[in-house]
Amino acid sequence: MSGKRVLNEYESKRLLERYGIKTVRERVVEDLDQAMEFISENGYPAVLKVLSEKITHKSDVGGVITGINSNEELNEAFSSMKEKFPGEKFLIQEMCSGVEVIIGGKLDQAFGHVVMFGLGGIFTEVLKDYSVRICPVTPDDADEMIREIKGYRILEGYRNIPPANVEEIREILLKICTVMERENVVELDLNPVMVEKEAKVVDALIILGESS
Amino acid sequence: MRLNPLFYPESVAVIGASNTPDKVGFNCLESIVYGGFRGKIYPVHPRYDEILGLDVYPDIIEIDDDIDLAIIALNQYSTAEIVDSCAEKGVRAIISIAGGFREVGEEGRELEKKLVERARAHGIPLLGPNTLGIINTDHDFYATFYPMRLKKGNISVISQSGGVGLSIIYKMMDEGAGINKWVGVGNRAILDFSDILRYLARDDGTDVIAIFMEGTERVRDFLNAVREAVPRKPVVVYKIGRSKKVEFPALTHTGSSVGDQRTYEGAFRQYGVIQAGSVRELVAKSKALALCQAPEGRRLAIFTISAGPSLTVLDALGNLCEIPEFSQSTLERIRERMGDNPPLVIKNPLDVAAFGFLPDDFKFFLSAVLSDPGVDMVLAITIQHKNWRFPTPEIIEVARSHSKPLIICYPAENDVVKPEMERLQMNGIPCYSTPEDSVWGLSALLELERIRKRMDKS
Repeated sequence: MSGKRVLNEYESKRLLERYGIKTVRERVVEDLDQAMEFISENGYPAVLKVLSEKITHKSDVGGVITGINSNEELNEAFSSMKEKFPGEKFLIQEMCSGVEVIIGGKLDQAFGHVVMFGLGGIFTEVLKDYSVRICPVTPDDADEMIREIKGYRILEGYRNIPPANVEEIREILLKICTVMERENVVELDLNPVMVEKEAKVVDALIILGESS
Repeated sequence: MRLNPLFYPESVAVIGASNTPDKVGFNCLESIVYGGFRGKIYPVHPRYDEILGLDVYPDIIEIDDDIDLAIIALNQYSTAEIVDSCAEKGVRAIISIAGGFREVGEEGRELEKKLVERARAHGIPLLGPNTLGIINTDHDFYATFYPMRLKKGNISVISQSGGVGLSIIYKMMDEGAGINKWVGVGNRAILDFSDILRYLARDDGTDVIAIFMEGTERVRDFLNAVREAVPRKPVVVYKIGRSKKVEFPALTHTGSSVGDQRTYEGAFRQYGVIQAGSVRELVAKSKALALCQAPEGRRLAIFTISAGPSLTVLDALGNLCEIPEFSQSTLERIRERMGDNPPLVIKNPLDVAAFGFLPDDFKFFLSAVLSDPGVDMVLAITIQHKNWRFPTPEIIEVARSHSKPLIICYPAENDVVKPEMERLQMNGIPCYSTPEDSVWGLSALLELERIRKRMDKS
């Protein structure tokens, strides 16, 4: 990975915000008081995550606690995190509802920048139900990307799942191409993006290439 | 144009022409002679005096004429050496037939580097190496080592593989589809897909470009060439690489990486490529595109004398098209012809069964369906029968007064359907012998409609 720069979750989202991509409300905190302050402004439910340069797969090592609904639960979550990851910082976030989608991108040797879209969870990783285009994409390309996955029906709303705002997904896809080209991104993983009335990036990992 | 000497040479040297039909060098020469080339042909070989009635020259330098194109049918080692002589002679294009270059490993890669450096240094466009060659029926020029003569037409083919390229040729002949130009790009050491595609995009004789592809490193350039070509003529691509198992064999075949298939497919959609998944599909789609304009919209009417084939068509097309209801006046015309209480449901798809077995009846219903203002394209189906002839002249007559795309499906034996196919296609009506082939024809036209609409928007 010589010369490449891995942005952590917080830095990745700040970069996305600069391009007008909506991200989840969040704050870097070091102690419970700071976390409580975030809650007093944003309320529950909340999510607590470890923010570490060393850990890339947070949930695999128990570094993500979701559905925190009260001061007691927050207190408990914070203590257990502190114990598990001494000396690390944390990220406290609002908890979003909606359909989980994944938006990815990479610098391909032959094609240059490539963007990928799929539903979260098993849909993309196990069922390989995702679509790919090369950058830049037009609004038509982005619409086709969203509609060609088999899971599109879920985005239209299904039983108790409300319909997702696909225009917001389209906006992210268009903006992601600009981010990748201008920032010399070699890899980008917005996973998940929660989509309901709005599409908000909940977690992100961006790797920049050498010259930036 | 830079590639004209390759496609339209006036004089050709075949270096390594030999005198026995067992040899590639002989077949390179025979291919040109048998194809009916009207330019000058100069076989080059150090040991022979005459082959196929042509004087043989010991060295290309000694030919007392300008040479537009040199076909090098020597082994890989001598091929790189001879390029300098070709340059000295002032040759304007080279086809390099032999394999044994990049696709076989390190030694071959070095040889290919040498070959490329020399050709580039002399500024000579080179096709191959590791190619079957080139065919231009518009010039009666067949420069491969598979001697043949082909039905002329408006489809041109670019193939990375000689074998698949031949399979496309023979399938096209079976389908009564004519070829204009055929190019084997082989290892693509200098001339790649994009170069040939750009030439064909501007070529007056080519209305459809059909491509078989394993992969190319210069894929962005290829896509840009597609973008330039698509407003002028449709581009159909059969690209392999779905299975990881082809990655290594493709490298040892034409030295190409097949790349990520999903990315190829996505990019093809973006750039307006019509995709095919087999030789048969490539040919079926190219044939429809070569004969029909894009439909105005996506509303398809199916008219048949047997329901089953229309169901297979509906099943395969899925959401690609709409199946509209017929207008009141169309329904009335149909009812009137059938009389009171016909034992069938009048709807789209229209199955008229026994009411349409005979040519005059078939003609009537076809005309009614084609005239419906709510229909953009029509598929008509009738089946081979010992006593009831195909309604070919009737179809041609009806089609003459309509500009909507019309596709005919005649389920029949090859020998029986072929002459009907030829007649229909001579009149601009694609004909297929199975419902599935017909679906490919229809879907190609529907794809073209989608691509054209998208282009109009941007």
